[in-house]
Amino acid sequence: MIGTSARRVGGVERVTGRQRFTGDVRLAGMLHVKLVTLDCARARIAAVDTGAASGVPGVRAILTAADLPRPIPRYGPTYRDRPVLAVGETKFHGEPVAAVVAETEEAAEEAAGLVRVACEELPAVLTVASALDPSAPLVQDPELRPDDLLGRTNIRREWHFGWGDVAAAGADCVVDEVYTFPMVTHFAIEPHAFIAAPDRDGLIIWSSIQHPYLLQAAIAEVVGLPLSKVRVFAPDPGGAFGGKQHAKFEPLLAFLALRTGRPVRLALTLEETFQAVRRSAFEIRVRSGFRSDGTIAFHDTECNALMGAYADIAPRVIAKSGYLICGPYRVPDARIVVRALLSHTTPATAFRGFGTPQVAWAIESQMDEAARRLGVDRLEIRLKNLARRGDEVVPGDRPADGDWAEAVSRAAAAIGWGSPLALGRGRGIAVAIKASATTGASYAIVRLHHDGSVTVMAGTSDMGQGARTVLAQVAGQELGVPLERIAIVMGDTGSVPFDLQTSASRSTVFMGTAVLNACREVRRQLAEIARELFGLAEGEVVVEPGIVRAPGLELRYEELLAQAWGPVRGELIGTGVRRGEHVPAHPLGGPPAFYEFNCTAVELEVDRETGEMLVLRHVSVADVGRALNPAHVEVQDEGAAVMGLGHTLMEHLLLDEHGRIRNLGALDYRIPTTKDLPLELRSLLVENGDGPGPYGAKGAGEGGLLAVAPAVASAVAEATGAVIRDLPLTPERVWQAVEALGRGGRPDPPAA
Amino acid sequence: MHGFAFVAPTAQAEVTGLLEEHGSEARLLAGGTDLVVGLRTGAIRPRVVVDLKRVAELRPGLSDAGGRLAISATTPLSRVVRDGRVRQWFPALAEAAATVGSIQIRNRATLAGNICNASPAADTVPALLVYGAEVVIAGRAGERRLPLDRFLLGPRRTALGRDELVTSIELARPGAGTFAAFGRLTRRRGVDLATISVCCSVDAAGVTRFAFGAVAPTPFLVADESGVLADPDADPETKDRVLAELTGLARPISDVRGSREYRQAMLMVVSRRLLRSVVDGRGKG
Repeated sequence: MIGTSARRVGGVERVTGRQRFTGDVRLAGMLHVKLVTLDCARARIAAVDTGAASGVPGVRAILTAADLPRPIPRYGPTYRDRPVLAVGETKFHGEPVAAVVAETEEAAEEAAGLVRVACEELPAVLTVASALDPSAPLVQDPELRPDDLLGRTNIRREWHFGWGDVAAAGADCVVDEVYTFPMVTHFAIEPHAFIAAPDRDGLIIWSSIQHPYLLQAAIAEVVGLPLSKVRVFAPDPGGAFGGKQHAKFEPLLAFLALRTGRPVRLALTLEETFQAVRRSAFEIRVRSGFRSDGTIAFHDTECNALMGAYADIAPRVIAKSGYLICGPYRVPDARIVVRALLSHTTPATAFRGFGTPQVAWAIESQMDEAARRLGVDRLEIRLKNLARRGDEVVPGDRPADGDWAEAVSRAAAAIGWGSPLALGRGRGIAVAIKASATTGASYAIVRLHHDGSVTVMAGTSDMGQGARTVLAQVAGQELGVPLERIAIVMGDTGSVPFDLQTSASRSTVFMGTAVLNACREVRRQLAEIARELFGLAEGEVVVEPGIVRAPGLELRYEELLAQAWGPVRGELIGTGVRRGEHVPAHPLGGPPAFYEFNCTAVELEVDRETGEMLVLRHVSVADVGRALNPAHVEVQDEGAAVMGLGHTLMEHLLLDEHGRIRNLGALDYRIPTTKDLPLELRSLLVENGDGPGPYGAKGAGEGGLLAVAPAVASAVAEATGAVIRDLPLTPERVWQAVEALGRGGRPDPPAA
Repeated sequence: MHGFAFVAPTAQAEVTGLLEEHGSEARLLAGGTDLVVGLRTGAIRPRVVVDLKRVAELRPGLSDAGGRLAISATTPLSRVVRDGRVRQWFPALAEAAATVGSIQIRNRATLAGNICNASPAADTVPALLVYGAEVVIAGRAGERRLPLDRFLLGPRRTALGRDELVTSIELARPGAGTFAAFGRLTRRRGVDLATISVCCSVDAAGVTRFAFGAVAPTPFLVADESGVLADPDADPETKDRVLAELTGLARPISDVRGSREYRQAMLMVVSRRLLRSVVDGRGKG
């Protein structure tokens, strides 16, 4: 069962439209919510006139900040900085100043359009440069962090990492460049949806959330209820990608439900999701020293990451990406300065890759630049510096835990590295590592029913990554039960035990281990029952998957239970836990459980006259320890690769001077379609059974997008001679770069 | 979505009557692929929506008589793309119509709707201009015809009067020896709006026509009557000079789809490539 490509649990429902998403939930007496927003990022709210809106038939309530407790309740996974509704001033385009509750969506929408907000637009901080400008307006009130020395700046937090002595490090060649990575949005096909309903003396929340238990805690805190009185239902999300990790509008809905005494529902439009979640934009300056043979001497880096108006989980993303900016290499000396900057823009949050695509874009492009200047092959310079198993990538932290050079060699072979290239074509290769989950706890319950079938209760969210399938495979393997006799119960904090979160590709390792431990607990109980029933001694009973053996005895589980229990019946309940404890002394709270390593190689063709690119071949090699379900791992990796092509080639949120998103919606925010895929896309897996998860598995599913941008840019540089340091590589940007070369603007050395 | 009355008349006279009564407060529904988007965003807030799909005189279809092809106002683009006469006589129109939206969109969207929406980037308009399309208009006073370039007045603006609707689009079959092709540039290969679009034709007399889309308030037609562009043996630099003069008439703007400079440059590149394929096709034909 393990290592086979079992069919996806719930896959048919998902592709035939039968899956019930949060947005499909309808409750008796349910009201509908529409948010009232302003036409700019930052404005002083003078007055809110709800008169005309209240007159719309069907309107039941209109809530403004004035209707909420004072001081206004705030929430957020890093800092409690986000108010339930804007108070005094909006901080980003799309931040609600009021919420209309009505009997129908139409009435709510019409009334929302009639709420008159007297306001005055104020200057907004929209870029890294303005966020760093000491004279820029402060995005957040310093009172929110009175003891913070940075409280009167837009720097929410600054980190200094590093080792060795960069100032003393010598080098034969120094590459000093600046790279930018723009804001992009997650574009989950299912927009966020939320329902809150009063439930006797508590609340029930439905949400398309990745982390139901953290949402439960956030709601409990914001409305002042014990955890036991807040129940979160989390139907499987339709794509999440990090954008559904933490509370968004659930706290607002909780207040609306309490206020109206009825269930309230808010389903965001796609446009509203653009205004709800995005990835942090980065400007990264890297000064890198190399020896003449290509050996890295040092990296001296400064990362300025532009978060939004509220921190959400972005500071963690930014710290984690900066901490591991040097990548999967042996780097003798490093200085790393990282800043998380506030701005009047959509709050940035986690996004598949968790900050790694941004830093890999910079560091891998530096490797290419050094290779070109030193005349070293771009594959060679990577192999020369790559950490081998056991080498430290950050001194004192978890060393390299895979055969990364093997992955690189396989990618190079698959792309035909070094073979002759047709005119107008180029190849690129790039690597990256992402630190997995560091800490966290996952609890699972496995119930063996008296007919031998199994129910697994696991708090992981299956948002398309296939968690249901892989957890069923683990239980099936351990208990010898076919998948069709296993049920997976998820998404209900009222009945399923705690899981910290579904993120960082952690579920196979963390929850997989918890399920495995729970199954082994069930097997211990079976052995005990057999010993008692037949009067056998310790060691005489062996419980194998599906079978209990003892001398002269071989029983299926259900046969043993029938003999032991008779007509009274019963069930066995196994619990399993996997915890990664918090390490206070560690800069990130703990070392990663594993590294997700990826090598991406591409071959592409550039139309020099138009800047259009055609990716002919794209190879992604992931080190996954062991693929518990190879087909699922491959499609996860391919999905990540395609998503990586999106931010590499076409995705960026463009703002106007008022801080509004100019390409707000699917019409002008482009993501790859099937027609935009590489002509050939291959996912290769390195499996050495060296992961910390069940059967040697590591997490997977993010790796495929980490190194796409530098690999593609490297290929464009080889094809055209034009080196581009800003994403995305739109046809127009490539055309401009090629034109600039023709005009003699900033010539770059020819490709090595 | 804002509330509105919905009417589905069965006779054309009822339509013109409703239009006269409601004027700009009435909007016509054929495919609805632009209308419904506008209704949802609130950009269009009509008092009454008039569905044309049950009007007896406006059955979907293409008909030809006397060397002219008429495409009725309710004909979806997918039928235009598939029609053998369109493919044979107006291949550039078939190519252009096949780029509008997606398959699902083309199964609903109409050719008449594409011109009445009067988008500067309307994909079918450059081809229709090159083929000299005529718009047949009905109103209370009867029928009139306008060449397409006089029908389009500006972004979202047409020559339709208060009580008028487009009933069909007519195209005269080109003379023997006419070759044409359509091309456009988009930000991605999948469904996308044009950054620029170009249609090019060369006729038997050696006149080369270009129509450019998404580079001016409306797509517009230009021609080289000197024969230079149609001449396969003409010097490439001379051709480029003529082409630069024609494409120089464009007035592109910068927006999220592309900068003015990029559009201007790409107009030249795409025009040059299309011309080459048309002249090559003519040489072989």
